[in-house]
Amino acid sequence: MRFHIVIAAVFCCGFADSRKIRGISSSYKRFYRERKSFLCIDGSKIIPFEQVNDDYCDCDDGSDEPGTSACPRGRFYCTNLGFRPHYIPSSRVNDGICDCCDASDEYNSHAHCQNTCWNLGQRERAYVEGQMRTLDEGLQLKQQLIEEGVLLWREKQAQLRELQQAAEDLQIKLEEHRRRKNEAEQTLKALEAGDSGLRHHNNTITSMFQLLDSNKDARITVDELQAKVTVIHDEGRLLSEDEAVALLGGAHQMDLTKFRHTLWDILTKGDRVKIKDTHGSEDSTVGEDSHLKAADRAAKWEATNLKKVEEAYDTVNMEISDLQKKLAIDYGTDWEFLFLNSQCYKLKVYEYTYTLCPFNQVTQENTAGTQVSLGMWGMWAGAPKNHYSQMVYENGEPCWQGGSRSATVTLTCGTETALRSVKEPSKCQYIMDFQTPVACQPVLKQRGIHSEL
Amino acid sequence: MWEETFKSHSDSKPNGPSAVSLDFSLPGVEHVYGIPEHADTLRLKTTDNGDPYRLYNLDVFQYELYNPMALYGAVPVMLAHNAQRTTGIFWLNAAETWVDISSNTAGKTVFGKMLDYVQGSSETPQTDVRWISESGIIDVFIMLGPTAKDVFSQYASLTGTQSFPPLSSLAYHQCRWNYNDQEDVKAVDMGFDEHDIPYDFIWLDIEHTDGKRYFTWDPHKFATPKEMLQGLMDKKRKMVAIVDPHIKVDSSYKIHNEIRSRGYYIKNKDGGDYEGWCWPGSAGYPDFTRADMRSWWASMFAYDQYEGSMENLYTWNDMNEPSVFNGPEVTMHKDATHGDWEHRDVHNLYGFYVQMATAEGQIQRSGGVERPFVLTRAFFAGSQRYGAVWTGDNAAEWDHLKISIPMCLSLGLVGISFCGADVGGFFKTPSSELLVRWYQTGAYQPFFRAHAHLDTPRREPWLFGPENTALIREAVRQRYTLLPYWYLQFYHTHRTGEPVMRPLWVEYPQDPATFALDDEFLIGRDLLVHPVTEEGARGVTAYLPGKNEVWFDVNTFQKHNGAQNLYIPVTMNSIPVFQRGGSIIPRKLRVRRSSTCMEHDPYTLYVALNPQRTAEGELYIDDGHTFNYEKKEFVHRRLSFVSNILSSVDLAPDAQFTTPSWIERVVILGASKPSNVTLKTADGQESQLEFDFDSSMSVLTLRKPGMNAGADWTVTLK
Repeated sequence: MRFHIVIAAVFCCGFADSRKIRGISSSYKRFYRERKSFLCIDGSKIIPFEQVNDDYCDCDDGSDEPGTSACPRGRFYCTNLGFRPHYIPSSRVNDGICDCCDASDEYNSHAHCQNTCWNLGQRERAYVEGQMRTLDEGLQLKQQLIEEGVLLWREKQAQLRELQQAAEDLQIKLEEHRRRKNEAEQTLKALEAGDSGLRHHNNTITSMFQLLDSNKDARITVDELQAKVTVIHDEGRLLSEDEAVALLGGAHQMDLTKFRHTLWDILTKGDRVKIKDTHGSEDSTVGEDSHLKAADRAAKWEATNLKKVEEAYDTVNMEISDLQKKLAIDYGTDWEFLFLNSQCYKLKVYEYTYTLCPFNQVTQENTAGTQVSLGMWGMWAGAPKNHYSQMVYENGEPCWQGGSRSATVTLTCGTETALRSVKEPSKCQYIMDFQTPVACQPVLKQRGIHSEL
Repeated sequence: MWEETFKSHSDSKPNGPSAVSLDFSLPGVEHVYGIPEHADTLRLKTTDNGDPYRLYNLDVFQYELYNPMALYGAVPVMLAHNAQRTTGIFWLNAAETWVDISSNTAGKTVFGKMLDYVQGSSETPQTDVRWISESGIIDVFIMLGPTAKDVFSQYASLTGTQSFPPLSSLAYHQCRWNYNDQEDVKAVDMGFDEHDIPYDFIWLDIEHTDGKRYFTWDPHKFATPKEMLQGLMDKKRKMVAIVDPHIKVDSSYKIHNEIRSRGYYIKNKDGGDYEGWCWPGSAGYPDFTRADMRSWWASMFAYDQYEGSMENLYTWNDMNEPSVFNGPEVTMHKDATHGDWEHRDVHNLYGFYVQMATAEGQIQRSGGVERPFVLTRAFFAGSQRYGAVWTGDNAAEWDHLKISIPMCLSLGLVGISFCGADVGGFFKTPSSELLVRWYQTGAYQPFFRAHAHLDTPRREPWLFGPENTALIREAVRQRYTLLPYWYLQFYHTHRTGEPVMRPLWVEYPQDPATFALDDEFLIGRDLLVHPVTEEGARGVTAYLPGKNEVWFDVNTFQKHNGAQNLYIPVTMNSIPVFQRGGSIIPRKLRVRRSSTCMEHDPYTLYVALNPQRTAEGELYIDDGHTFNYEKKEFVHRRLSFVSNILSSVDLAPDAQFTTPSWIERVVILGASKPSNVTLKTADGQESQLEFDFDSSMSVLTLRKPGMNAGADWTVTLK
């Protein structure tokens, strides 16, 4: 009987029996051909072939026990037909937990493992297909966004040029205005410099004389005096004719020369009579020196103008530097990330609302409306191979225990641009998952195609 | 009239002064130990020039080291030892207690002592101890020994022994304040599998609750706790969730309403419910000294009461000193009342009762079948009966790593064997070197849990580069291979009260060189561990005890003589551990995802021969998690190697248990090469065993003997 079984075993199988073959990938089968002895794959030891998969570890590299849990450094191959084959550590063989979807790791345990490979495979295929679709769609969207990005880039460049042109124009204007302001100030200064005290005095006497001389006949008469002069302590009372005559030095009229030496002093230094308070009198008094006034007004006007132009110039320059700063950011090889600038994306997680404004800042707001900065734009921080897969925002609000808040944003491929998740694995260190078509990489697609399915 | 004020607090002291005190003289004694919890050396210091050791359970923020200040727990038990005798004093008083120690030899140099001897100075060394308690009666037990092991059993007869923990709780615990949500828990769980690091328990701190209302779950972050627990159960893993004794005062909170309506809260001096400030804000403190309160509390752990709980959810009692943020010294006012008792009288017992009630709840929920696992921060004499303790909120500093050894040794001496310190340090951030060294140390301490403060960066074992990940993996794996030995030690302490992690002097009581050692320790009798606790260490000097004894390096199998200081060069890989010649240690070398996955795995026996070429050990096997061992469902075997015959005999013939585990390998250290090796099983069958002999290290490895671990057998070397 035994003899027959042995014969059958030898004839039915080119390799070892099913016990021996357990846990080996097809590429490793050549090491396990039935022979008298087995050479540990690392070449360290030769053992009888019966000791392969006999649940005792003989080889340091664990190669004699691919199908049992005997070797600490061993590994078990799950064939997983219908799904993806993979290795598990030997310690997971017969541990009562189903690891291989084909249930091959639990051949001697109480775990009731089902073969779930086909289902998993289907799910995986559906998932991969979904991913492929997402990728295709994402890549198309990305292309559009790249084109938009290029346009946007050009637009921004044009805007920059416009601003720079405007700045140049303003520069010229500025110089012109500076010149004019200087001139106006020069004129004013010159006028002020030529203005002696005497002349001012003269002008004032003359102007008062002219004020009193209503009919402009170079003589002040009693009527004219009664019309413009009043008694200080009894305002509203007209001067009597006698009083007027007395003021005119006993005469009924007075010329400028006599005014200068008599009535001027009485009116300006005496305490009996004064010029009535009329607007006309004020106006004519100030309006008297029109040159100086005009020069002064011109100077002020030019100063205001210059200030306006200067402000405009500063504004334009600020805009230029803002734009230059923005344009200096690395928006990807094709400016594909440019469109994210000036956008913001929100996500509510439990009691907090998070806002990511790419290339600008990340904030967190609680339900009470208190806003906390989680970081300002820092840099791209992806691995060298995929530089644009991660952003870092740093120097947010300080933390209680020292340091400041920061956020690491991982970009993943998706058909929409949206913030997908926010976590705070350690205090004040946030990680975000941000989905956008521009993160889609054609490389991924190739990898997908070559995956073993 | 007797009212006192402390800072902004006042103590009405209605009973006036009530302190009690007694002096003890210990002639011939120079070494005293115990009275934990203090962050101090193993050997107690004299207190002539400073404060006495203080026993008053307090929530201490960032405690100081080498200091007699009070910490989270209090065990008023002191051991006195000299080469002739070990004795103990148990001062049974739960009020605030101070212990003063003085000695007539303190400060004398060795030379001075020799001079005394030469000059025939008549003065014998003596240590004097003064105990002072704020209230209560004098109730003292003197444990006469004469050996340390006698003292342990005498003390155990008074307060009980260490509870026998579920085997999985001796494995590795991953904790952090906090794992944020179910997704986070899942990701950490996956991380362990991805990096092939075993763990058994993942822990949730206070943030898992709905607004710090214990027995509840945050409705968003932990919306489906059973789903999460089932996920862990599928991997044969478990969870611990925190349940603190401060109860949020909130009329929409079931637990609070029940306690209030039943009148279970501790009362303030005016008779109203005592309220203090803690994590939830305003909180009440259930009176755990009441038996009816404790049984009600226990009933809250029933699966239908504690919603979202499952059989793989266990409990952690923190803040049970009790911690009261706005109370005097961050604890409860002494004039609060527990019925007729003032809080003053029972303060140090509060945490003890919290853990007692919680453990009882866990036993009840399974109908008395399953062993509980409850960790507590506060404790008192007898707390060993209810679970594990840890050394509280330590810090990520080298000195804190160092002090974890004397802190746990002191606890072990007074019955509390299940002790550990937060691996990595709770406050602050460890360097990767410190973290690795802490894992290497923690792997050889009874309670092995990594924990971290909320404000520290994440520190799961794989976050420090592949090299450090590998070092941590190796340390954790060593723990798992030794779980059969750890389990056996806990079975022993459960039966005898002998500490699991013990000072060398307990095993070498006549060797004064061991009396003050606290940078190394023994696990049971047979493993000596000298952790590396110095930054940048190139080597450590370990004292290997025992004249005529030998010790085997467990990694290299190199043999060293006893009674010598051995310099051991170390690298980052090194955890200096030695197996005593004359011992047999069972290990399971197939380290899997969790200890439960390893339940039925085969054993490898490490037989380390002494100079007489004999060795002896034990093997204990049961189901690992139920009380069925009390019904004699276990395997307990004596393994001995005498006259070239290794045999397994039944130590408990009346016990019955069937194990599928078998002996896959026997490694004999210090052996010579046999010509043949014969296995004889119970049925009388004999077979020749294959073997391999490494002559450079004198290590004989018997290949796959294959006998059942629960059976009688002999292996004869010829």
